Amino acid sequence: MSEPLLVLDNVAKNYGAIEALKGISFSIGKGEVVALLGDNGAGKSTLVKIIAGGLEPTSGRMLFEGREFLAKSPAEAKAAGIETVYQDLSLCTNVDVVANFFMGREITRKVLGVPVLDERAMEQVVQKALASAGTRIPSLRTNVEHLSGGQRQAIELNRFVHFGGKLVLLDEPFAALGVEQTRRGLDMIRQVASQGIGVVIITHIMQQAFQVADRIVVIRQGVVAGDVARNKTSPDAVINMITGETLAGAGPAG
Amino acid sequence: MNPRTRQVLEFILDNLVWFMLVFVLVVFSIFIPNYFQLGIFANIIEASSVLGVMSIGLALVIIAGHMDLSVESVAALSAMAVGILFCSAGIGLGIQLHPEWLMVPVSLLIALIVGGTIGAFNGYLVVKVKMSAFIITLASYIWVRGLVLVISGGRSAQDLAPAIRWFGIQRLLGLPLTAWIAIACFVVFSLIMAKTPFGRHLVMIGGNETATFRAGIRVNRNLVIAFILAGAIAGLAGWLLAIRTSGATANLGVGLLFNAFAAVVIGGVSLKGGVGTLPGVYAGVLLLSAINTAINLMGLPANFTQVIHGLLVLAAVLLDAFKQTIRQRLA
Repeated sequence: MSEPLLVLDNVAKNYGAIEALKGISFSIGKGEVVALLGDNGAGKSTLVKIIAGGLEPTSGRMLFEGREFLAKSPAEAKAAGIETVYQDLSLCTNVDVVANFFMGREITRKVLGVPVLDERAMEQVVQKALASAGTRIPSLRTNVEHLSGGQRQAIELNRFVHFGGKLVLLDEPFAALGVEQTRRGLDMIRQVASQGIGVVIITHIMQQAFQVADRIVVIRQGVVAGDVARNKTSPDAVINMITGETLAGAGPAG
Repeated sequence: MNPRTRQVLEFILDNLVWFMLVFVLVVFSIFIPNYFQLGIFANIIEASSVLGVMSIGLALVIIAGHMDLSVESVAALSAMAVGILFCSAGIGLGIQLHPEWLMVPVSLLIALIVGGTIGAFNGYLVVKVKMSAFIITLASYIWVRGLVLVISGGRSAQDLAPAIRWFGIQRLLGLPLTAWIAIACFVVFSLIMAKTPFGRHLVMIGGNETATFRAGIRVNRNLVIAFILAGAIAGLAGWLLAIRTSGATANLGVGLLFNAFAAVVIGGVSLKGGVGTLPGVYAGVLLLSAINTAINLMGLPANFTQVIHGLLVLAAVLLDAFKQTIRQRLA
């Protein structure tokens, strides 16, 4: 593994008496794709929200590029270079494709000292980004509410590819995508990783995890139940880790 | 459907309220004697300035997905503050400043600060305490009006200083300066909403607050600013109201809130947030004003106004639903 980009050290999260995460430790290298697997309620989404600044951990620490890191808000995480695609889509359906693509980082130019949206520049960027990803959306000026689920997800995926950053978190990004779009999405992930960006992808589909990931991390009942290189394990072994038939931390099997 | 007809249809849907305004004006001009006069049209614009300014603030907050019921009372409080300080009769203290024109910026600033402060208070509670804006601003609607009664003792202030009154008397192209102030407000805030990141963010917050938070937009900050703006704009409306009535009474502006609501909804702003533009709101304000004028000219008892406004709001909501259906078919 190359030098670690993000290190999680015993990260825990309690909701009152309920321990959603009991202490998670693993790391993600630069240019590495880590698939995060686990049953429903294992704590995957909670973990992603903690890294992305949406939730604060109860205890534990994180190192990002070797430095102590704790994002208090998504804005801070974003500033540090962490992009997130959430399970429930984070689009504003009441505005158009361009506005969604640039949400929070609009291109502006100054008119009399006042920042004014540079719509033309933004539209060109979106056009290029979508075209290079092979996504077809009839008009970039239609409101997102009129687009299909697949088109919406494509906007989010292209957004992270375009803005890049250093680490990308994907929480079930392909839930609404068709076969062809999913294949393209997986290609996108590899392409992003090849630029040295770390990727964490949460998925339920074993096949996708094995297609795209370098390493597979399994979370069960709030702890890491397995952390193995993809080429040293098999889908059956991973399923055993998810359901708990193998002891926690047993590592490579099969 | 070819792209051209589609574009035309979209344009009509986006600007429906303007077409309604033109339609209503044409119909009134044909059927009501003496309606078709420049003076009448000037009067429609003039009569809508206070309501128009107040509607801007209300619209901003509603577009951002919240609510501000306090604008009417805030306007009354600002008007009363200006009235008490700068009126020379009634409960007015008759403060004089030299040179006289200095009273204009000072009174305006006081009105804006009074409004902005209450707006900040509303916004802080909505954002920090995370209570429903409806309840918080309903409380403000009541206690701010109460404050107006308390500081005025139920009495009124008359004879506003002439230097301030000047804005209501001096005309430019047939319209008093107060009307031009309202128009300028609409232009400025329309540009802010349509062309700046701040406006864009407000619209997106109204559409999906979670998404904007995740995208790193400072949602709380933007919302507090929106509430402060709504308060300050209501303060400006109060200032205009004081000029218009040359003073302030304890029940000044009662009922304006519902007219502002009507204008905002008719103007195409959705109460669900995230939908609507300020030019539309201005058209809504003018539409209400045009209908009021028609009622006056026809000699109908003024009591009919309220019935008609209510039905108009209902029609606007139904129209909005209808527009949604057409849009879905277009997509």
